[in-house]
Amino acid sequence: MEKLSDKIIRKIKDEKICPKPRWQFLLKDYFVWLVFLISLIVGAVAFCTALHVFFTNDWYLYQYLHTTFIGHVLISIPYVWFGVLIVFILIAYYNFKYTKSGYRHETYFVVALSVVGSLLLGTFLHTLGTGERIEEMVAASVPFYERITCCSDRKDVWDQPEYGLLGGKITNVFSEEDFELMDFNGFNWKVRESEETIEYEPLEIRAGEEVKIIGKKEQDFVFWAREIRPWKKKGEIRKTRIRAEE
Amino acid sequence: MLDKNNCVEKTDEELVALTIKDQDFFSCLVDRYSEKLTRYIMRISASTREDAEDLLQEIFVKAYRNLNDFDLNLKFSSWIYRIAHNQVISHWRKTKTRPQVIKFEADEDFLKFIADEGDLALDTERKFAGEEVRRMLGKLDNKYKEVLVLKFLEQKDYKEISDILRKPLGTVATLINRAKKHLRKIVEKNNPESKST
Repeated sequence: MEKLSDKIIRKIKDEKICPKPRWQFLLKDYFVWLVFLISLIVGAVAFCTALHVFFTNDWYLYQYLHTTFIGHVLISIPYVWFGVLIVFILIAYYNFKYTKSGYRHETYFVVALSVVGSLLLGTFLHTLGTGERIEEMVAASVPFYERITCCSDRKDVWDQPEYGLLGGKITNVFSEEDFELMDFNGFNWKVRESEETIEYEPLEIRAGEEVKIIGKKEQDFVFWAREIRPWKKKGEIRKTRIRAEE
Repeated sequence: MLDKNNCVEKTDEELVALTIKDQDFFSCLVDRYSEKLTRYIMRISASTREDAEDLLQEIFVKAYRNLNDFDLNLKFSSWIYRIAHNQVISHWRKTKTRPQVIKFEADEDFLKFIADEGDLALDTERKFAGEEVRRMLGKLDNKYKEVLVLKFLEQKDYKEISDILRKPLGTVATLINRAKKHLRKIVEKNNPESKST
């Protein structure tokens, strides 16, 4: 009876079976590591964007939205970005486990590695302002983004003049104390300022600027502004000045 | 022509390197592992010797194709056992014939090893016939049987089991402990007197 080893060697020779080249295995290993790294980076980008959204959120708005601070915090959490972060942490985990030695590590270690990696890199990217750029890019290219993220850039939040919230683009500046604004529905409003009005830097009252205003609707399409903020660059709202004091 | 006596002194890893250059050296590895792996396959798959040998051919051919993927951080035995394990599972999937009861060929060895472990020091060998032991072992989940086979029949250490099953060391230790606990419960159920011993 033919020995098993002879049978196998004969099969190998007859069928001209060869060991697969080493580069194929290396390529596969590198691919798994690459996907792991990409997942960490995408997770980090999601986290830095979440940080940006979180830190630039209009936390003060809850007073005008008839909700509690906790309620406002809950709706302001950037769930979309945290969702993306979680998905990519899981992908990173899955890939790490499929690296050659990934199985040797306990699940909690691999998850912790993926989480800490994404959070540290994300925090670093946040300091470079990457979150803001990513959010702007996504907001410009993903049509439903503003609808599913809360709250600063959601135009519907700033389309509630009856609650004292009005946003839009300045179309005309008549004087230091009044200007015209087109809201997001295309209606023109006359906005009136007074000595109590606070303008938040880096605000410029000039045609073409987008602003968000907290104040009071005085009559149809006439709005008194108590606080005016630039629509974008929310992160730079640090200093306040009272125009009347200038 | 390969002089098989050349193989005896060589380590597995040296034989892998030689096989890459000359396929005839692969027969040394096959000779070294065919009996061990046949037993292992039979233990985890309830196959007949003939079926196990068919599967073994596929395992060695697969190992040969993937020789360049052999990781020197592993023992060759762990690597080839891993291929065998995966191939058996893949065979189960293909044929959908995963056995519910796994046949242990070396029950006495198994019981001796279990007893040596201490915490299962039940006088099982005298109380149960081989057939009953087989039946009790058959009640264990396959994941427990797999680790028990590797630990007590194949006499692999935790690191090797970890490499074969691609599970962390901690998980292997947990599985073995749980497997022993489950087995003890089954043994106690079959012999209530053993609870008091």
